[in-house]
Formats: sequence, C-alpha cells, structure tokens
Amino acid sequence: MKRIMIDHEKCDGCKSCSIACMQAHRETEGTVYDLDLTDPQNESRNYILKDADGHYKPLFCRHCDEPKCAEACMSGALSKDPESGHVFYDETRCGSCFMCVMNCPYGVLKPDTVSRTKVIKCDFCVNAGGEPSCVAACPKQAIYVEEV
Amino acid sequence: MRYVIIGAGVAGIEAAKTIRKNDSAGEILLVSADTHVHSRCMLHKYIAGERDEQGLDFSERDFFEKYAVEWKKGVRVEKVCPDAKEIALEGGEKISYDKLLLAGGADSFIPPVGELRSASNVCGLRNLSDAQMIVKEAETAENVLVIGSGLVGLDAAYGLLERGKKITIVEMADQILPVQLDAHGAAAYQELFEKAGVRFVLGRKASEAVCEADGKIHKVILDNGDELACDLLIVAAGVRPALACLEGSGIECDRGVTVDASMKTSKEDIYAAGDITGLSGIWPNATDQGHVAGANMSGAASQYTDTYAVKNTINFFGLVTLCVGKIREEEGDQVQIKEDRTQYKRVILRDGKVEGVLLQGDISNAGIWQYLIKNKIQVDGIHKDIFDISYADFYQVKENGEYQWA
Repeated sequence: MKRIMIDHEKCDGCKSCSIACMQAHRETEGTVYDLDLTDPQNESRNYILKDADGHYKPLFCRHCDEPKCAEACMSGALSKDPESGHVFYDETRCGSCFMCVMNCPYGVLKPDTVSRTKVIKCDFCVNAGGEPSCVAACPKQAIYVEEV
Repeated sequence: MRYVIIGAGVAGIEAAKTIRKNDSAGEILLVSADTHVHSRCMLHKYIAGERDEQGLDFSERDFFEKYAVEWKKGVRVEKVCPDAKEIALEGGEKISYDKLLLAGGADSFIPPVGELRSASNVCGLRNLSDAQMIVKEAETAENVLVIGSGLVGLDAAYGLLERGKKITIVEMADQILPVQLDAHGAAAYQELFEKAGVRFVLGRKASEAVCEADGKIHKVILDNGDELACDLLIVAAGVRPALACLEGSGIECDRGVTVDASMKTSKEDIYAAGDITGLSGIWPNATDQGHVAGANMSGAASQYTDTYAVKNTINFFGLVTLCVGKIREEEGDQVQIKEDRTQYKRVILRDGKVEGVLLQGDISNAGIWQYLIKNKIQVDGIHKDIFDISYADFYQVKENGEYQWA
C-alpha cells in the first residue's frame, strides 16, 4: 500500500499541508487563493503539532495496518480497503458515535466542528486520483508517498 | 472442518471473517436469533424513523456471500452439548460442530419489581426486535416511562423524541449518566433533554408496578409514593450475559462465560467472544475478541491483550463527550479542570499519571487519552498544560511509516 511517509526533522511548521488539505476538501468551488480560512467548514485532516520543546511533529492519518478506528466503528462507515490498503470513511453509514475518535491511539481523528455528525479523516485524496494534496504542497519534502 | 458461530453481533461477524481469511475451504455456519445484522448502538435511529433495518447493518456489503458464510437467522439455540459436539436449536434441530463460538451477547436485565417481567408493554432496548416493539407500541402510547438514564435509556428517549412522545426518565442516582459522567458533565445533557421535553425523576426508583386487565402496566409507583402514568415502559437497567443455553453444558461461567486470553472456554473447541463473556460491553473490545477467537479457531495464534474497557463516547444533540477511566476522584487525586462556553474538560491525575479524563464539547484529537490512561504513562515530566499534551510528546515513526508508542 501507499503511505504518506514523514521526515519530521525536515518540517518547519509552515502548515502548507493543512491549507492544501482544506482546499482539497472544501465544498465550494475555487482556488487556494480564495479559500476561506475562517470558515469552520473548511477543516484540515492533518495537523502540525509542537512538542514541549517546540519541535514540529506532523500528525497524519497512517491508514494503519490494523486500524483501531475501524475496529471501533459500530456502523461499518470505516473500513480498510483490501485493494489500496487505505482506511476509507463512508459518511452515509456513519452513526456519529465518535468511538473512532476515542480509539485512534495517536489522536488523529476529530468530529467535524460545525455539525458533529461526521468524522474528519484523511481519504488519501482518492477523489483527486489518490495523489495526496498535502504531499504536493510540502516545500520541504518532509512528507512523501512511498509504497510500504 | 465445520465452524459454528452463535450470534450475529460484531463478535460473531468478525470471527466469521477472520476464520474465512485463514481457512478458505471450511464450512462456516452462523446461527442467530436476530433476523438482521444490526448495530445495537444505532437502534435509536430506527426508533426515530431515521433508518430502516438495512440502515442499521454494520457488516460489509454482501457479507455472507463474500465470505461464504451460511446464515440461519431467527432461530434460538436451546442447548450446547460439548460432549456430543453439537448444539440444539429451538424446534429440536441439532447441528454438529468441529469448532464452536459462543457470541450470543447479553439480554436486557429487567429488575424483579412488581410485574415488570410479565407485562406486555415492557421491554429493554437491546435488539432490533425491542426497537420494533417500541415503534409499534409508540403508535398508540402517549406516555413513555424509561427506567434508567444510562446510555441505553437516553438512546431510547432520544429516538422517541422524534415521535413526539411524552417521556419521563426515572434514575436511582442523583444525576443522569452516573457511570459515565460527573455531575457537571451530566447536567449539560440533562438540560438538553429537558429543553427537548423530557422529564427526569432523579434519586428515585420504581417500587411497584401492577398489570391491569389488558396485561399492561399503566402506572408505576416510586419509592416515595409518587405515581407515574405510562403506556409504554422501557427498562434500561443494564444487561446480563445470555447464558441460558449453556445450562447443563459444563462450560465454566462466572459473570459471563469464562475464557482465557485466546478466548477459549473451559471446554475443548469451544470459544466465546463479545458481551457473553461479561468482559466488556464496548464495541471495539467485542470486535477484537471476535477476531482473536476466530483466529485461534482457524489455526492462527492470537491473544486478547488490549482489555481496557472503561471508555465511552456520547453524542446527543451534537454535544459530544469522551470519557475514559476514573470519573470520581478519590483522596490524594489531583483534579484539573478547564471550562469555557464551548467545552468542559476534566482530568484526574495521581502520582503523575492520568487516571481518568472527561472531555465535553470538544473531543478533537482526543484518542491519545485512552492510551495514556490504560498504559499508565507518566505525564508529569511534560512541561505543558495537561490539556495540550498530544502525540507530539510521544512521537515515534516506524520504518513502515506507522506511528508507535514506545
């Protein structure tokens, strides 16, 4: 399967990945130049965290080999696709219980801010041909796709 | 090789899938009283009329065809006979097995108060059949009385609100959701339910309930003498592992079926998983148990090790809560609270470790709390506001790109 690999020492915290993710998942038409960063509907699926010493630590869904989010899913909305290996989310099946949020050991998932009815989760930009927008936007090559 | 699985909940379904992955030729037969594979956690959506039976199905599309599992549905298992290596169904049919999985779940516990157990308008909320009965009764019922304000009781009320019923909830404790929340966190939900029209009677229990000529209970008398009128009664007072069919089988049971780490029971070739074990009522644990049992039944070695079960999430009216571990502090515990208009966060610490967390309003990226609590991770060396601790403080990337905890 393809995974977004992380070289956290190269990350300088610019958050281009987060902007690219918001742009890739916006519901309105437009380019990154008119992306409304203040609209809570535009949410990023990745995060640049800081540890206590101020170092940047990119938090991206790993599409785990044994996904704990899918294990916790009581509706069948989250499942690991046997072909691509990615963990996909079917919003129409989701029961909005957020056990997946609780069960991700790395804290990658969150409920959507506006309606609290769906989970905000990386889809590997499957609708854009499976080329993750975050990776394309990283100026430091701190994230890159690799077959694992 | 013939595998027989009793129960179509997540433990049974997960076990069937795991067995098929390891054994492409074996015969897999799943027997269930349920006529639809359904998620018990979504029954309120059925009651509300938001989803139909198919909409509650949590399994993969075309599960039974895809994994070549034969399904006998709508049948109860009467008896398990380990010596003959067979199970007896109601009606007398016998089915032999080479490996058997007990995943028949649990039954609603109806307390022996008055005639609650014999009345025709009393039910739990556990199975689709319960939800179906509630929907049917709700056609004519005006007043609904719910006994118990845990997640199941509130689920029932939440669903019935959509049908415009007058709902009263009686709770023994002096707050709602007493197992999951502290008083402050519970009050937020109480207010939301009250605004929607639900009435709560706290600190009281039912002491008398008599059937009238129509076989129904039309009023319940509380321990202070107050009377509550009702046309439909939903009892949400917990569940008990469904052990009836194991009577006389010699399979060792305690609260539930006793199992070892491989989910094997005291009898050869018989395994158990899910709520019937009494180990945990939590979905991910049942999934894991089903997986482990299925693996061991089909020749792969696997152990159930991630046993932590004091965890839950709640979502009513868009107010989300995550609660893991200890809720009530004891002497010597440290409590830290953060609260504003949109959230209430509370953590219980002891000796530099997190023992319990309650996050209400905002549970973004909160998955690490379960890990910190169940693994008793020392956090006092991290010089940050406790609520700002994240995976960044434990960051490790494996060679294959997955994260890991040390």
